[in-house]
Amino acid sequence: MTQQAVFFYVYAVVAVAGALGLVLAKKLAHSLMCVFATLVAVSALFLLLGSEFLAAMQLFVYGGAVTILMLFALMLGGSAAETEEKVDPSVVWVAAVACIAFFGMLLFTIGEAQWPLAPSAPIDTAAIATILFSKYLVPFEIAGLALTVALIGSIVMSREDDAPESPAEKAGGDA
Amino acid sequence: MITLNHYLILSAALFCIGLFGALTSRNAIRVVICVELILNAVNLNLAAFSQLVAPNEAVGQVFVIFLMVVAAAEFGLALAVILVVNRTSDISAIEAMRKLRG
Repeated sequence: MTQQAVFFYVYAVVAVAGALGLVLAKKLAHSLMCVFATLVAVSALFLLLGSEFLAAMQLFVYGGAVTILMLFALMLGGSAAETEEKVDPSVVWVAAVACIAFFGMLLFTIGEAQWPLAPSAPIDTAAIATILFSKYLVPFEIAGLALTVALIGSIVMSREDDAPESPAEKAGGDA
Repeated sequence: MITLNHYLILSAALFCIGLFGALTSRNAIRVVICVELILNAVNLNLAAFSQLVAPNEAVGQVFVIFLMVVAAAEFGLALAVILVVNRTSDISAIEAMRKLRG
């Protein structure tokens, strides 16, 4: 087994174990830690694929920001965020059968498909930058706009008080 | 030797686990995290295709970047909605969402 294969299997096992932990853990905080393992493992897989920029982005965005955001949501939500009523066992069984069937279907398709494989060549970050800022410039700007709108929207939605503030408070800035 | 199929199978496994979690979880935050996991599986898929099928054009990686942006925006909005619902009702967010059916 080559070195690459060993690393791939290690990361794959960590990723799948973390995902299972996310689904099966009783406490939400535990599943957050499990999904953190998955996100970091996926970042390592990006690195293994030779796309170091994506690996860095995955670490920054998912490993850092999203995980912290999840923890904040958990803490701000208080006890309401932790409550989890029992789900009907029949629902679990139906969902499990459906998901396993879907997985089997995907496996079959992947096994059957013929991909036009090309010899692997490293994609450097400069190539991504070139194509991102030339051919995909408009989608890039729209993505930035979407992110800004989402940010403003979530700030507006999650503000504590909906009543208009006094001018003094407004001058002091929002919490 | 690690081929494209290895990555595809791993990504399919992550996708299905995330799907199962999103279908069975009764906690809104966990549902959102499961959706993030699904999006991550898609990211892995795109990166693998980009690297092993069309390595000369970085298009797949650009798509991954856009997906990350959309996922981050979706995640922030979803958490804001969950926070508001948690604050305004004493039942869990998923039960409260059910009321929206009318």
